[in-house]
Amino acid sequence: MLFEQLSGNLIQGLVLGMVYGMATMGLSLIFGVLQVVNVGHGAFIMVGAFTALTMFQAMGVPPVLAIPMAFIIGMSLGMLFYYGAVKPLVSPSGIGIRKLSARGKGVIAGSVVGVILLMWLTSGFFKVNIAIYLFLGIVFLYAIALYIYGGRRQDKAAELATLLVTFSVGVILEEVVKQLFTSEARGYNWDIGKIDLGITVLPYTKLLAAMGSLAIAVILYLWFNKTRAGMAMRSVVEDDVGARVCGVNVDWQYALSFSLGIGLTVTSGVLLTMFIPVGINPYMGGPYTLKAFVIAVLGGLASPYGAFFGGVVFGLLENGSYTLFANIPGLEPFAMTRFFSFVMLLVILLIRPTGLLKAK
Amino acid sequence: MGKRAVLFVSVLLALAMAAPAVHAAGHEILVGHPATLSGSYAKAGEQAVGGVKAAVDWINNTRGGVMVGGEKKMIAYKVYDCESKKESVTSLLERLITTDKVHFTYAPYSSGLTLAGAPVAEKYGVIYMDHGGASDNIFKQGFEYIVQTIGPGSSYHAGTLEMVRKIDPAAKKVALAYEDSEFARSVMDGAEAKAKELGFDVVFKRTYPAKVTDLTPLLSDLKAAGAEIVIGGGHFQDGQLLNQQMADLDINPKLLSLIAAATLPAFGEALGDKAEGVMGPSHWEYGVTYSEAGAKKLGITWIGPSQDEYVALFKKAVGKDMLPDYHAAEASAALLSLVLAIEKVDSLDSDKVRAALGDLTFMSFYGGWDVDDTGKQIGHSMVDVQWQKGERVIIWPEAAQTGAPVYPKPKF
Amino acid sequence: MMVKGSGKYLPVVPVLVAYGALLGYGLMVPGKWQLVSQLAFYCTLGQAFNLFMGMTGYVDFGYVAFMGVGTYGMAVSIYNLTDKGLGGWVIVIGFALAALFSVLLSLAVGAVALRLRGAYFAIATIGVNEGFRFLIEGARIWNGSEGMIFTRHMKQALGKPGAMAMGTFWADVMMFAVAILAAVLTLVYMRNKVGYALTALREDEDAAKVMGINVTKYKIIAFITSAALAGLLGATAWALKLQYVYPTDVFEIHYTVEAIIIVLLGGAGTLMGPIVGGLIYGIAKYFLAIVLPGFQLLIFAPIIIAIIVLFPEGTVGILKKKLTGTALQRYVI
Repeated sequence: MLFEQLSGNLIQGLVLGMVYGMATMGLSLIFGVLQVVNVGHGAFIMVGAFTALTMFQAMGVPPVLAIPMAFIIGMSLGMLFYYGAVKPLVSPSGIGIRKLSARGKGVIAGSVVGVILLMWLTSGFFKVNIAIYLFLGIVFLYAIALYIYGGRRQDKAAELATLLVTFSVGVILEEVVKQLFTSEARGYNWDIGKIDLGITVLPYTKLLAAMGSLAIAVILYLWFNKTRAGMAMRSVVEDDVGARVCGVNVDWQYALSFSLGIGLTVTSGVLLTMFIPVGINPYMGGPYTLKAFVIAVLGGLASPYGAFFGGVVFGLLENGSYTLFANIPGLEPFAMTRFFSFVMLLVILLIRPTGLLKAK
Repeated sequence: MGKRAVLFVSVLLALAMAAPAVHAAGHEILVGHPATLSGSYAKAGEQAVGGVKAAVDWINNTRGGVMVGGEKKMIAYKVYDCESKKESVTSLLERLITTDKVHFTYAPYSSGLTLAGAPVAEKYGVIYMDHGGASDNIFKQGFEYIVQTIGPGSSYHAGTLEMVRKIDPAAKKVALAYEDSEFARSVMDGAEAKAKELGFDVVFKRTYPAKVTDLTPLLSDLKAAGAEIVIGGGHFQDGQLLNQQMADLDINPKLLSLIAAATLPAFGEALGDKAEGVMGPSHWEYGVTYSEAGAKKLGITWIGPSQDEYVALFKKAVGKDMLPDYHAAEASAALLSLVLAIEKVDSLDSDKVRAALGDLTFMSFYGGWDVDDTGKQIGHSMVDVQWQKGERVIIWPEAAQTGAPVYPKPKF
Repeated sequence: MMVKGSGKYLPVVPVLVAYGALLGYGLMVPGKWQLVSQLAFYCTLGQAFNLFMGMTGYVDFGYVAFMGVGTYGMAVSIYNLTDKGLGGWVIVIGFALAALFSVLLSLAVGAVALRLRGAYFAIATIGVNEGFRFLIEGARIWNGSEGMIFTRHMKQALGKPGAMAMGTFWADVMMFAVAILAAVLTLVYMRNKVGYALTALREDEDAAKVMGINVTKYKIIAFITSAALAGLLGATAWALKLQYVYPTDVFEIHYTVEAIIIVLLGGAGTLMGPIVGGLIYGIAKYFLAIVLPGFQLLIFAPIIIAIIVLFPEGTVGILKKKLTGTALQRYVI
C-alpha cells in the first residue's frame, strides 16, 4: 500500500519534474551567460500559458502547436527586455549614442514633464484610460531617453539593479496581461484520454508535456554542441574574453542567449498548461519563480541541462517526500514537502554549489 | 541632474495632488473604501467595487436617495486602491476619514486586511463595513464599529453535508482537502464538526499550502482513502486545480464541493465538462429566489433592486460584460443595510447608525441580513450551487432550489 | 576616506531633521498620522536593509524573514503571556523576543548563507524565508496558518484605550525610535572599523581578505545588526500596530523588493539614501493609489526601471557628487 503510493507519486513526480526542468532552463541559461538572475521568470511562464490559452480558445490550435508561436513571442520579448533594460546595466559600453550636455539632459527632463502634463490634460478627450495612456507615455519616453542618454554601467549595485529591473519587467508583464485579460483564473479543456497504470493515472496531455520538455532539452543540447551558432554562444559562457579574441561578436551573443532564455521560458509556459490547463491568470508565475530558483541551484545555476536534471530530481523528491511526511502525525505533509525542498536548496548550496551533476 | 530630478518628482506630485477631489458637500452621504483593486485580491476587489457602485446607482437613481434630516441625500462613493497591502490600508483609510470626511467606510477584502484597518476605524469611531473578512476571530476582539455582511466561515459546508444526509443516508466516508489558510481552516473545522454530528466518518483530512501548483500527491493519498464525499477548496486557482487533477487521477466521489472557486462563472469556463456535477456553497448566486413578495410574506423589510435589475446595474458599473458574484452582492447588501439604518435613526452619526444596524433585519436580492452584538453576520444563509450542463443551478436549501441535485455526480 | 575629529558624526543632523520634520508633520497636521507612519515604515525598512546591503553589496532577498520572526516574537508574547498578569510588561518581553528571534535566525542564516556570494547568496536567503514559512505552516508552529489575532489580548493587557492608542499612535512612535536607532547605528558603523572593512569588502572581497581584514567577522556584525533592526521593525509596525499575524502575510518577499527599491531610489550605501528613497516611494505610492486606483503598479514599474537604468547612483548619490567641495559635504553621506 505504502509502496504503491510512493511509486505512484514518483511516476507523477518524474513527469512533472521534466516539465519543471524545462521551465528552468531559460533561467539557468541567462544566469550562465550574463550572471543575471531573472526575478521576473514566472511572469514569462505566465505569458506562455496565456499564449496557449488564447490560441486554443480563439483558433482551436492544440497547445502542442502553440509552441513555435510561444517561442517566437518569447524571443521577441527577450530582445526587447535585453536592449531595453538589461544591456544598459551589464554591458560595459552602455547603449547611449552620445553623452549629453547638462542642457540636453534638462531638455529631456523638461519634455518628460511636458508630455506627461499634456497627456494628463488631454486624457479627458480620448476614451482611453489615463493610466494606460500614462504607461505608454512613460515607456516611450524611457525608450527615447535610453536611446539618447544611454544607461551607465553600474559598478557597485549592478547586481541589485538587475534583480530589481528583472522584477519590475515581470510586474509590467503581469499588469499588462491583467489589463488585457482581467485577473480571472482561466483554463482550457484539451482532453485526449489517459492511461491507467494501476498505481496511478496519467493523462496523455501530461505525458506529451513531459516528452515535449525532454525533446526541447535534447534539441538545445545538440544545438549547443553540434552547430556553429550554438558553439559560439557556449564559448561566451565559458570564456567571454577568449571568445572576443576569436572573433565572436560577444555583445550579439549576449542578446541572443538572453532572448533564447526568455524564449525557452515562454515555451515552457505552454508545456506547463498542458500539465495543468486551469488556473491561468496574470499572477500565476510567482510560485514557479521560486521553484525555478531551487531547481536551478540543484542543477548548478549556470547550466541549462543541469537545470533539466535538477527539475527531475526536484519533482521526484517533492512528490516522494509527501508519502514520508504523510506518515508522521501532527504535520501537514504538503507544506512540509515545500519546507523540505528549501532545506535541500540550502544544503546543496553549502556542500555543492556547482549543482548535483558536476563534481567540484 | 539632482535638482531636475527633484523638480520632476515634485511636478508629478503636484499633478497628483491637483487631481479632482470630492469634497463633502453636505448634500451627499460619503462612503469610502480602501479596496483591493490590485495585488493578491484584485479579483475580489474588482467585484466588490462594482457591487458598491451598482448599489449606489440604484439608491441614487432608482430609489431617489436616502431620506435624512428631512432631505433626500445622494450617496457618493470614494474608492482608493490599497494594493492588497496592509501599510496602505491604514493610511488610505485615515485619508478617507479625515481628508475626504467620509461618513462611513468599507473594509478591504480578506480577514487580514480588514483587521489591519480596524484600529484606525475604531479610533475615529467610523462604521467599518466588513464585506470580505469571514474569520470568526475578528468578532472576538471587542471591536465596536465592524459590521459584517459576509457569513462566518464555519458554516460554509454545513448545508452540503445536510443535503447528503437527506439524499443518501448510507453515505459514510467524507474527505476534507482545504487550503492551509485561516479562512479555509475555519471552514474545514466547521465541516468536520458538522460531519461528525451527522454521523459521517472523516477518513481524510489534509491541507495544502496557498498558491499550490500541483496537488497530485495529496490527491493520490485521498484516492487511497476511498472517500464518497469530497469537500474542500480555498481560493479560485487551487479550486480549479483540485477539480482538474481529480479528473486526471480518475477520482470519482459521489459528491465534490469546493468553496470559493466552484460557484464562479470562470470555473465552468475553465474546466468545461469536467465541472459537471461539481458543487460549491455560496453566499449569493445569480438565480436565487429572494424577492419582495417573498419578504412581504415573511414580514421582513425589503430593499434594493430585483436580481435582474441588479445584474444590469452591475454590468453598467464595471463597464464590461461581467456577472456579479457573491463578492459583489455582499458589498452591495452592506450599503443597503446602511441606507436602512440611516433612515431609521435619521442621522449620519456612526454611533447611532451602528446601534440601528445592530437592531436591523432585512432582506434584499442578497438574502437575509442580521448581525449580532459583536457585528457578526447571523441572518444570512448560504445556498449550494451545482454545475449542471454548463449552468449553475441552485440545489440547496430546498426552499431556494432552481433545480434538483444530481447525486451522485457524473463521473469525470 | 577617514574622517577625524568632532565632525565625524555631523551627518546625523540631516537624519534627525528629516525624521523630526516627519514626526512634526504627523503631530501638527490632524489626520495625516497614518500616512506619516507608512512613510516612516518605508524609511525604516530601507535604513535597516541598507545597513547590511549598502555596506557589503550582499543582497539578502529573504530579508523579510527577520521582520516576520520579529513580528512573531511580539505576537507570541502578547498572545500567550497576557493571562499571566504581566500587564504592560508583555510588550517589553515581546521586544526582547523579537530581537532574540531575529538574532537567532540571522545567526543560523549567517552560518549557512554568508559563505556564499552574489546570486547564490540572494537565492539562499529566499530559500530561508520560504522554508521558514512552510515550516510554520507544515509543523503547525505558533498556530500554523491560522496565525494569531491579539487585539483582545492587548485590550486585556493595556486596557481598551491603551490598546487603541498603541495601535494608532504609540506603535508608530516606537517605529520612529527604531528608525533613528537604525540611522545612528549605520553612521557609527560607517565611521568605524566595521564600515572601513566592509567598504573594502564591497570593492573586492578577496583583496580585503588578503590584506588581513577579518571580513567574516564584520560581515556577521553588520548582518546581525540589520536583522535585529528588522525584527524590531516587525514587532512595532506589524505586531503592535496591526495586532494580528498570519505567516503568508509576514513572510512575503514583496517587502524585500520594496526595501531594495527604496535603497536604490535613495542611493545604496549612503546614510540619507533610505530616508529620501522611503519618502519618494511612499509618497508616490500613496498618491498613485488615490489618483489611479488599480493601475499604480503598471505606472510604477516602468518608472522604477527608468530610474535605476538612468540614475544608478540614486538621489543621495547624485546629491553627494554635487556637494563635493562645498560646506555641506560634511553633512551628507
